Amino acid sequence: MGNGWHGKLLRVNLTAKSCTTEPLNMEWAAAFVGGRGLASRYLVNEIDPAVDPLSSANKLILATGPLTGTYGAANGRYMVVTKSPLTGTIACSNSGGYFPCELKYAGYDLVIIEGKADRPLYLKIHNQQAELADASHLWGKTTGETEDLIRAEFHGDAKVASIGPAGEQMVRFACIVNDKHRAAGRSGVGAVMGSKNLKAVAVRGTGGVAAANKEAFRDTARETLKLLREHPVTAEGLPALGTAILVNIINQSGALPTRNSQCGTFEAAEEISGERLVQTFLKRNKGCMGCVIACGRVTRLADPRFSGSGEGPEYESLWSLGAACGVSDLAAIVKANYLCDEYGMDTITMGSTVACAMELYERGILTEAEAGMPLKFGDGNAVVKLVEMTGKGEGFGCQAGLGSYRLAEKYGAPELSMSVKKQEFPAYDGRAIQGMGLEYATSNRGGCHVRGYLVSPEILGVPEKLDPQVIEGKAAWAKAFQDVTAVVDSAGVCLFTTFGIGIPQVTKLINAATGSAFSEEEMMVAGDRIYNLERLFNLKAGIDPSQDTLPKRILGEPLPDGPMKGSVSRLPEMLPEYYAARGWDPKGIPTPEKTSSLGLA
Amino acid sequence: MVLVQLYGTLRLMLAGKASVELPWCEGDTVGSLLERFQAGERIPVTHKLIDGSKALHTGTIILLNRRNVLHLQKLDTPVNDGDVLALFPPGAGG
Repeated sequence: MGNGWHGKLLRVNLTAKSCTTEPLNMEWAAAFVGGRGLASRYLVNEIDPAVDPLSSANKLILATGPLTGTYGAANGRYMVVTKSPLTGTIACSNSGGYFPCELKYAGYDLVIIEGKADRPLYLKIHNQQAELADASHLWGKTTGETEDLIRAEFHGDAKVASIGPAGEQMVRFACIVNDKHRAAGRSGVGAVMGSKNLKAVAVRGTGGVAAANKEAFRDTARETLKLLREHPVTAEGLPALGTAILVNIINQSGALPTRNSQCGTFEAAEEISGERLVQTFLKRNKGCMGCVIACGRVTRLADPRFSGSGEGPEYESLWSLGAACGVSDLAAIVKANYLCDEYGMDTITMGSTVACAMELYERGILTEAEAGMPLKFGDGNAVVKLVEMTGKGEGFGCQAGLGSYRLAEKYGAPELSMSVKKQEFPAYDGRAIQGMGLEYATSNRGGCHVRGYLVSPEILGVPEKLDPQVIEGKAAWAKAFQDVTAVVDSAGVCLFTTFGIGIPQVTKLINAATGSAFSEEEMMVAGDRIYNLERLFNLKAGIDPSQDTLPKRILGEPLPDGPMKGSVSRLPEMLPEYYAARGWDPKGIPTPEKTSSLGLA
Repeated sequence: MVLVQLYGTLRLMLAGKASVELPWCEGDTVGSLLERFQAGERIPVTHKLIDGSKALHTGTIILLNRRNVLHLQKLDTPVNDGDVLALFPPGAGG
């Protein structure tokens, strides 16, 4: 179509083993931007929100944005949208690497996967030729092995997104791994893929993406690249130290959830920091397709106990498999991170679940006999072992595969799960950073930092510095960040660009690519529309506003240490203001006027 | 003495040096400590934290006893003997 879109979606019915092409709904593409927003619109239209996420009636949508595969602002993202088996909410997990652009270059904007195969299959897409192939020989293989085998039999340059053994066993937080080390990580999208007996999607695409206004796009892309190359975060901090630079920052700020959020600082943070990773296992940095930031960490283990090579760990994984478990053993964290990639599991939920199990053990609720080993905080070897058992579905690993909420609930202590809507929140304590607490509580996919990263203003001072302990104004900030993020995700742009650019630049890129003339205000309304669409899905799925909350520990147990000592989350004071800022009624339900103004009535 | 902790690209620029101890002087501020810290290094480094007019770059984090100086008196924040100053050039993640 020459306007950032091909105008085509691929519909794959696994029950009927059919692949058909349909025209993309361009009206929806304009109203919901693309990617996350557009795929959510399709999902809302095609499934009952009350559906069992692991049944054949759920659908799995792989979605690109109008900027995916173009250049200028790290435009290499795709999203997986489905109903989550972890949270019961709508799920959207986002990944970079090379697979997303390849899908676009094959000529498809979206892939809708429905039904369930009667045996393991994988989807092969070679430009406009799509077919389902037998995957019996791939079942049980790790994501890395699967990618190598598919490339050997299909195409040497194919880009592959696959599930590992965890997805096959429907571990509730299984992810979909592409390019071996990038993941659509959260909310269990890999379990949905496994429930459909779909092992992988392999793509070879040799086309391109055309912009509607080529000259304007080229000029805007150059301008964007310049902004990213000049900003100290995207030009220096992220390439040199990656996301791991945050370990010391967040720890010094008193916001590093430690030992299952019992503390806000970790005495051994330096041992698991980005600075230490540079001195030990880091080999080089690496970028996704067309990215000038290149925050990826290529690492190799050199340790008498563990071997391997791969990418990461990222900050969230250093925290979840490290500080959250009281572990300062960097080699063990790196190994556990590799195992999560190979078995296909979300590192945040995995580590947080181990941390929860460790607290259950130390409180005497979970016994050594039940766990199959002692689970003491600080034991890196135990983390590696439990990750492996979870990936393989062995012993206590089957319980850990439920995620922390269902695990803790089983042992009669759900309050020990550090989660919102059954999804574990990441590496920022909601008591120390008030806006993040509000963001976790109101995120449409449960505990999550990349729905509205208020750490940026509250700790990092970007775009401006806010006091993390002040609650005034945080509701409006949370809404604005959530709406901006919905637009950036949906466009197919990496969220990390927003440290250097904002809605003005993203709007210019979208307009030049699609030939539209959206104002920045209209883009923000589109973000609001996407957020409300997701909220309405969740309400229909039975996720009522009483779940817009935080664990008892975060609301009621004051932080015992660090500069934020004595703080609790002041969520109850912020939530009514947030609902009002959203145009929702005092109970958290979008009003008819609101939905009507967004075209969602 | 004042302990100055070095993080992020600052530490990489200084060959892995994690901290330096500087003598404390009466009337010291964050700004004066930064000047003395720079004077003791062979290469320019504080430009990663502040610009030519001595304003903090967007994203620079300077913590005095774990409190961000932006919420205190910025570079004019008084420093006491025994304080800990942590310096982070702009960095981010998530």
